[in-house]
Amino acid sequence: MGYSGARGGLEAILAAERHVRHERDHAPVPWAGTEQITARFRLAVDRVMGEAGLYDEPTAAHAFRQAEGDTLEAAHLVRAHRSTLPRLARSEPVDPDEMVVLRRIVPAHRTPDGPQLLGRTSDYTGRLLERPDGPPSPNGQVPAPVAQADGERRPRRFSAMLREMDLLVDHRTGADPEPFDVTRRPARPPAPRSAVLASMARAETGALVGLWYRSILGPDGNIHEVTLGEVRHGRLPLRVRHPHTGRPVRIGTFRATETEALEDLDGAEEDRARFDLGYGLCFGHNERKSIAMANLDVACRRFGASLEQVLLLTIDGLDSGGFLEHLKLPHYVTFRSMVDRKLAVRTTGERVRATDPLGRDCR
Amino acid sequence: MITELLSEIDDSAGRAGLLDDGARREIRRATLTAVCVPGYQVPFGSREMPVARGWGSGGLQVTLAVIGEPDTVKVIDQGDDAGVNATNLRRMIAGTEGCEESTDSRDATVIQTRHRVPEQPLTAEHVLVLQVPVPEPLRGVERSTAECDRMHAEGDYAAIWVSLYEDLVRNGVITRSTGYPVLVDGRYVMATTPIPRWDVPRLHRSPHLSLFGAGREKRIYAVPPDTDVEPLTFDDVPFEVEGGHEQQCALCGSSDTFLVEGGGGRTICSDTEWCARVAEGDADLEAHAKQAPLHLLPDPARRVRTAAPVTLVARPEPARRPVVSAAEWTLQVAGLGKVHGLGGADAVAGTGPEHGTAISPTTGAIVAAWDVGFDVAPGEAVGLIGESGSGKSTVLRCLVGEESPTAGVLHLAAVDAGATDLFTLDAAARRKLRVDVLGYVQQDPSAGLSLNVSAGGNIAERLTAAGWRSYHAIRQRAAELLDRVEVPLSRMDDPVKTFSGGMRQRVQIAKALATDPALLLLDEPTTGLDASVAAGVLDLLRGLLAERDVAAVVVSHDFAVIETLTERAVVMQLGRVVEHGLTDQLFADPHHPYTQRLVAAARR
Repeated sequence: MGYSGARGGLEAILAAERHVRHERDHAPVPWAGTEQITARFRLAVDRVMGEAGLYDEPTAAHAFRQAEGDTLEAAHLVRAHRSTLPRLARSEPVDPDEMVVLRRIVPAHRTPDGPQLLGRTSDYTGRLLERPDGPPSPNGQVPAPVAQADGERRPRRFSAMLREMDLLVDHRTGADPEPFDVTRRPARPPAPRSAVLASMARAETGALVGLWYRSILGPDGNIHEVTLGEVRHGRLPLRVRHPHTGRPVRIGTFRATETEALEDLDGAEEDRARFDLGYGLCFGHNERKSIAMANLDVACRRFGASLEQVLLLTIDGLDSGGFLEHLKLPHYVTFRSMVDRKLAVRTTGERVRATDPLGRDCR
Repeated sequence: MITELLSEIDDSAGRAGLLDDGARREIRRATLTAVCVPGYQVPFGSREMPVARGWGSGGLQVTLAVIGEPDTVKVIDQGDDAGVNATNLRRMIAGTEGCEESTDSRDATVIQTRHRVPEQPLTAEHVLVLQVPVPEPLRGVERSTAECDRMHAEGDYAAIWVSLYEDLVRNGVITRSTGYPVLVDGRYVMATTPIPRWDVPRLHRSPHLSLFGAGREKRIYAVPPDTDVEPLTFDDVPFEVEGGHEQQCALCGSSDTFLVEGGGGRTICSDTEWCARVAEGDADLEAHAKQAPLHLLPDPARRVRTAAPVTLVARPEPARRPVVSAAEWTLQVAGLGKVHGLGGADAVAGTGPEHGTAISPTTGAIVAAWDVGFDVAPGEAVGLIGESGSGKSTVLRCLVGEESPTAGVLHLAAVDAGATDLFTLDAAARRKLRVDVLGYVQQDPSAGLSLNVSAGGNIAERLTAAGWRSYHAIRQRAAELLDRVEVPLSRMDDPVKTFSGGMRQRVQIAKALATDPALLLLDEPTTGLDASVAAGVLDLLRGLLAERDVAAVVVSHDFAVIETLTERAVVMQLGRVVEHGLTDQLFADPHHPYTQRLVAAARR
């Protein structure tokens, strides 16, 4: 068979790959080791783990390096890697009250139970660009260790106090359905709250922030500014059931960010004498994501269906980014078909009416 | 033990597959379901692939699920084996699955493709896997995914038919280019991925299996061999494939293939394999020509003449249809009750006219209607009259199916000869009744019409829902109806949003009558209109009810409207029937003080 049309494409791809590899891996600078990345680019690594939905710092660091710092691309690498692995066990549910906090703030209260613990943050540091010539000289200022008393390490929630004062709407029905696994089943509206929360936990951070802010200053939307009752970053235990004994065993810890947002209820059918609570939880240290998530969670409960479709179907970075980038693929067959219709419209000789079409499709 | 397990995993990982075996099985199961229900989009737990969403991640998962070592894979993009996306996918599949790769469709057993069906006629030995960016054919006409799901489940495809009707009205041709919607196996409307129209007829009753994978939207669907795949078009509007400009491939000379721009003003085959083989004389041209859709090339002479005015054939007024049913009533409702809030039937005590309230003293529930019953004889119009808040509109909404009642039964002679209580039917069955059994005219025309759709298109919505598939017959019918309700035919193709309130109401009435329903439900049909406009619409309704053999329920707060349109009437106050009888007698000699008030108001 003389036809070997596939050759040109392959050579072009291989050349592009060589370009990337050469300039990324053989740049004339020291190699960025995995530890370098996890230690110095902690927030990027955390973001990759969160958007990938897989908690492993070295894996995320490898992906971050391979993706040349593109966090979305890195999340893609991690998720595609995850697709190749069998699922060996399911983790046991974690009670977030077990979190050992590394940082914890309660904006809704001046002196809550437990500490206002700033922890590792540059929130309150002037954003002044530092341009060091080289590595900083070692100094002896080691930060004080995080508080050790249990009340300090596992502070009581601000929302617990509100519950005692009967200031929170109680949505707990007593039913404890299995959480919806968005990695195994496609979540489409109508879906349980766990599906919406899981979708947000894996969402692209910017998509959540953008969606939230659109409501604040955009032409439409129902999302209000909440008061934060709790923003935490800390460690949680990971447990699985032992294959022989069947008992939960702790096999590690992971860091997560958690938010509780207080919503002022004012609707006709709402309990105006109480607050509602929105919840956010994501892997790693990513307060922006967790806060947006908590705010969107309560907005979804209050304002329902259309926001649910948005949260379930439009905030995944791999979905939106991939579909956007697919526009770069060749489309000359479809375009040729569109040209054919343009010419057909001309030849009908009909007067074109000034009306809009019913429905516009993606192709 | 653990180390054994881990080493086992390491061994299986040695295959370096792109999907673990559990995922493969899951996707295979979804694929089998798709084959069993042709054209239905089967949700599946789409995994992330080493290619981006939108770059064939769905097609790749389907291919990986069905392929094995004895297979030979071919991958094309736009018909081209050398496209970068095709090349990338092919090396990934062949590199990890241990199967052969080929560019010759005759050698391949699995062909993954983006945007084309190969020119080489496929056989029962082939599985064609199409990459799908947007699997939902209804997305253009309906943005809510839950509503799209409902439309598929109920086979409710009027909206997409109206979009084709509107397209023809606007443009004289159907301008959908690729991804043309098709009806599969007479059941599901399916998006044909963006393959050109040229390839659509080539899926019809084809010997090969076609699988469609949408990774981003997490759907798989299929067209099994020998399955009907019919492009959605009206019976009298030919489906058109691309071409018809006397062009041929500059490389191989073919004139029966899908051609694309080849640079320098030339056109060439998009299918590079076929093109090369034709040039070499290694192609079965006869078999190919047999399945090329040359009979569907555009023929301007057969196109519709949209803007040409519809001429009304002078036809005698339809004779009053003889009453077919022996039943004494068209509609019978008994014991109808609707309680908003807690308590159900227990909330009724202490409400009603004698208590001066509709609010339950025990539960606070609103008893909107209770123990309402009446029947409507064939051809008869019955009025429901009362002040606002008397429950008359609630009764009508229960009849039409927009609300479910707390108590009562409803029978229509047209449904199971009156044997079935409609209140026991599910929402889908109730919606179906609104296609050709019940005509419904709402107070606000914008609630009953699509304002962005033309007057004719609004009527086409009912007709296509009822199965009409002739464009010209639909236009003729719409023109007759619009003419009857005195909407000028010059406005037939204008969107309803450009119409005045009175004209909109006339369009809504025409739409309600489109399928000659046995029963017409009119909810305050003149209330929102200026007095003189209302009088005109009232005249029209009186004429329509007189000339047609349609039963009607008319809801109004205005005794003048009830008096004009109905023979009998039911008077409602605070959710109860307080008086009923012949409309003339009620109007001339009202007994109940409340009725007397209503009559006095109408006479002022």
